[in-house]
Amino acid sequence: MSKLGRVVEAVENYNEHVLAEVKRARSDEKFGREMLDRWNEIKRNIKTSTAPTGLKLPRLALPEIDEPGEIARFLLGDGLPGEFPYLNGAYREMYLEPWQEPPVEIGSYGKNGHGAKAKLNGNRNGQKTVAKPQQAEEPTRLFSGLMLAEDTNKRFHFLSAHQRSKRLSTAFDGPTLYGIDSDADGVFGKIGEGGVAVDTVEDMVRLYDGFDLGSPDFSASMTISGPAPIIMAMYIAAAKRRFGSDVVPKLRGTIQADIFKEVQAQNETIFPIEASLRFLGDMMEWTMRNMPRWYPVSISGYHIGEAGSTPVQQAAYTLSNGFAYAEMMADRGMSADEFGPRLSFFLDCGLDVEYIALTRVSRRIWAIGMREVFGAGPKAQLYKVHTQTSGRSLVAAEFRNNLTRTAAELMLAYMNGTNSCHSNSADEPFTTPSEEWIRLSAHSQGILLEESGIFKHTMNMLSGSPGMKAVERAVEAAIVEEFREIERLGGVLAAVENRYQRSQIQNAAHRYEQQIYDGTRPIVALNKYRNENEEMHEFELARTPRSKQQLQVDRLKKFKAKNARKAEAALDKLADIVETDANCFPALLEAVEICSLGQISERLQEVVGRFRPMV
Amino acid sequence: MSAPIRVLTAVPICDGHDSAINTINLEFIRHGIEVVYLGFHRYVSDIVRAAIQEDVAAVGISSYNGGHIEFFAEAVKQLKKRGADDIRVFGGGGGTITHDDQRIMQKRGVDKIFFAGTALTDMVEFVRERYARRPKRRATSDPEMKLARKLTEIEDSYANGKRAKKKIENRKPARNASRSDAGGSKIENTKVIGFTGPGGAGKTTLIDELVLRMLKRDPKSRIAILSHDPSVVGDGALLGDRATMINSQHDRVFMRSMATRGQAGGLSPATEDCLRLLAQEGFDYVIIETVGTGQEAMPFQSELVDQTVLVMNPDYGARLQLQKIVMLDLADIVVVNKSDLDRAKTALNEIERRLEQNRREQKLISTVAKRHRDRGVDELCDLLGRDVTARKKGKR
Repeated sequence: MSKLGRVVEAVENYNEHVLAEVKRARSDEKFGREMLDRWNEIKRNIKTSTAPTGLKLPRLALPEIDEPGEIARFLLGDGLPGEFPYLNGAYREMYLEPWQEPPVEIGSYGKNGHGAKAKLNGNRNGQKTVAKPQQAEEPTRLFSGLMLAEDTNKRFHFLSAHQRSKRLSTAFDGPTLYGIDSDADGVFGKIGEGGVAVDTVEDMVRLYDGFDLGSPDFSASMTISGPAPIIMAMYIAAAKRRFGSDVVPKLRGTIQADIFKEVQAQNETIFPIEASLRFLGDMMEWTMRNMPRWYPVSISGYHIGEAGSTPVQQAAYTLSNGFAYAEMMADRGMSADEFGPRLSFFLDCGLDVEYIALTRVSRRIWAIGMREVFGAGPKAQLYKVHTQTSGRSLVAAEFRNNLTRTAAELMLAYMNGTNSCHSNSADEPFTTPSEEWIRLSAHSQGILLEESGIFKHTMNMLSGSPGMKAVERAVEAAIVEEFREIERLGGVLAAVENRYQRSQIQNAAHRYEQQIYDGTRPIVALNKYRNENEEMHEFELARTPRSKQQLQVDRLKKFKAKNARKAEAALDKLADIVETDANCFPALLEAVEICSLGQISERLQEVVGRFRPMV
Repeated sequence: MSAPIRVLTAVPICDGHDSAINTINLEFIRHGIEVVYLGFHRYVSDIVRAAIQEDVAAVGISSYNGGHIEFFAEAVKQLKKRGADDIRVFGGGGGTITHDDQRIMQKRGVDKIFFAGTALTDMVEFVRERYARRPKRRATSDPEMKLARKLTEIEDSYANGKRAKKKIENRKPARNASRSDAGGSKIENTKVIGFTGPGGAGKTTLIDELVLRMLKRDPKSRIAILSHDPSVVGDGALLGDRATMINSQHDRVFMRSMATRGQAGGLSPATEDCLRLLAQEGFDYVIIETVGTGQEAMPFQSELVDQTVLVMNPDYGARLQLQKIVMLDLADIVVVNKSDLDRAKTALNEIERRLEQNRREQKLISTVAKRHRDRGVDELCDLLGRDVTARKKGKR
């Protein structure tokens, strides 16, 4: 049985355990008394918020129960926000306005709970409560990448000008995503399209110019997976060039690097799966040991969702991929408490009903699996997640409706307690988002979290409605069933090689399209309430001018010419190390100083082969 | 019944957005169109080479990652340069292609761009109306194109009922006759190798790894591949082997994908005639791959096939199942692929004992084709190449 099979057992056992404890709370008077005492103590300690209208509200909302069995069901089955199994939130207080007087039970925490020094908060399971930092970063993280490094850099400065904390998220162009150099045959038109072109460490220096990479208020996110270890090495090398070697342990951020979802859905894989996993593992191990504030993999359901999966498939494949990475790191001899806190997740949020509770359920399953199967402590049990609203749900027809779609999705994401969020720009169906629509989408988050009173006064404001509970139960059962199927196929890697997840996603995508065409899935202004007179909007597209594309090629050629003599030796050294079992990341760090992305990926492909696509 | 329309679909280089094209492919197939699917992240040169070899009526490109104006125009240009401008280009890219882009693209020779929200049925209608009848074609001196057109002629004549389907006789094969001992191919210097085996055994990957080695070993060698995918009469087919055969997309490889068009047994009614043609074209190797076959299949009855390879998956079930697999009697070489699986060792033992019953010289090889530089595949390549090298030397 793979670890995934044991996760299935753990979830089932935990659910049985909760039921048994509910019964015990009812039949065993002493235990029932303990439950009631704890409940009353929790209630006594709840502070009061005051809304701008003067209305007083509790900072934590609890179900109106006073019967020991139901109390046990809530505390053990759902957990308070920040308590196992974290259904109601990975952290306490998530989006709440800061409390005016310093609260006694909250200690000093790291930023955004990352590397949080959680304080014990007496709890029956001996579990720690993980609380959110008092002065949190804005949960907004905006995605951008266009043309050349200096153009994206300019956009980053524009986007983050008014933010206290600079949280940048980087999109790369096609050639970069596939580890191909800008001067390769047949890719010229793709340079700087849909993301930024990065060929060398010098591009990486330009990309984040003017930002203090070692600052605790800065974090970078890089959306790239196939060549992620090479790009990661370039980022570290660029940081060292600007700030010296001391900056390395201070670097904060994340790189997507999720190879499983690439093979299952997004198709940006350049090495065979096992070789990709080895490079990823080398990079993860190195960064986990040397960069304690970096998240070296973002286990992503987003692209699975965007490729057309159902929400349950998205959650199930993301979780099972996560458990497979956990198993990989455990096999490398790392403890769950070492690697667990460095794993983070990325989910899609669309309009299907499952999204009412998808992240909540994911958080619960992850916590149970990590604790029971991998022996993880509290910080390593947390499913920390970035959510992006669904790009696929947006349509070009009467595109302003996309603001409403995104707002509804954003609401769902925050109801699920996402740690950070990207709201899509309404013009996304036709173009790289323009500044006007980006601004609108970014502001939607401020309107929801700061302007409206929905999330800022009370934890659990919308949790636990009967409908939400019903969705939770149905979704959890369906996810566990998917796990069983993957386990039957021999675990995640075997299922991937049998293209199980891929074909499931493709079937779901096909069904989705059919439903749009036959009208069983209404899309306003597309297959319903359509405005027949509407003409398609013509937009100013942010296309990369040929002159810029040529500039990128010229720069790269200069870089290659400058380093021609030394590059070959560095590549040979890298290839030699890859032939052994040693960690090849240090050799990558050396190679990126003088070799381009394409030179490195080509040499690696000579050693390990190319990815053979699955259709 | 007239011959199905054949189109090629692909997603451009540095683009992995295959969700739309997968859906469109399925819709095409449902409506009787045969789709040669080249996959995602594909160079223009690969698309053009494949379109010419497959002799499709049109190429459909689905582009979501920008650079489409250049990419589509380059495809049109390269087709024209080869004299294959009767192969038309169409495509789409959701909202990423604007109307302005479309105007430029059409000016550069693209037939049609579909925008976001186009009904799938509209695309099917377009392909049927526009590409069912091929335009009158200029004569060509390009040997690859000539060959491709002749293959189309053969295939179409079967589809149009002008040639009778050959009955595959279910004759019991002579047990001790090994074709490989029979002095090589009827066609000098060309070695014809047939690959068969159950679905999921990894035939396609194995062949592609062999091709990589064959191309490397002899820098002048030319290889033809005849690959098969199942279809029923009147339906389309997804001919998807090119998408995974990354090494076979090469200027020294001529590949043709065929649908079985209702014939059981793993090959198409036109296969024998197509093979006869290919075997005379001076290739060093002609490789035929059947569709995934059942236990009773014995697809290579042709005199033209020099050597047959049965590719098996270690997970064939109980040992008793081996007794029922006819090809275990007939194959010259039996390959147990995926031998990294737990059951592989047992499988190799059981198959070895099964082959001993045959009392003829059959080779058993164990491979892990998905593994780069796999020793087993090297061994198979040596074995298949041995008599070719010998024959070539003999000629000098």
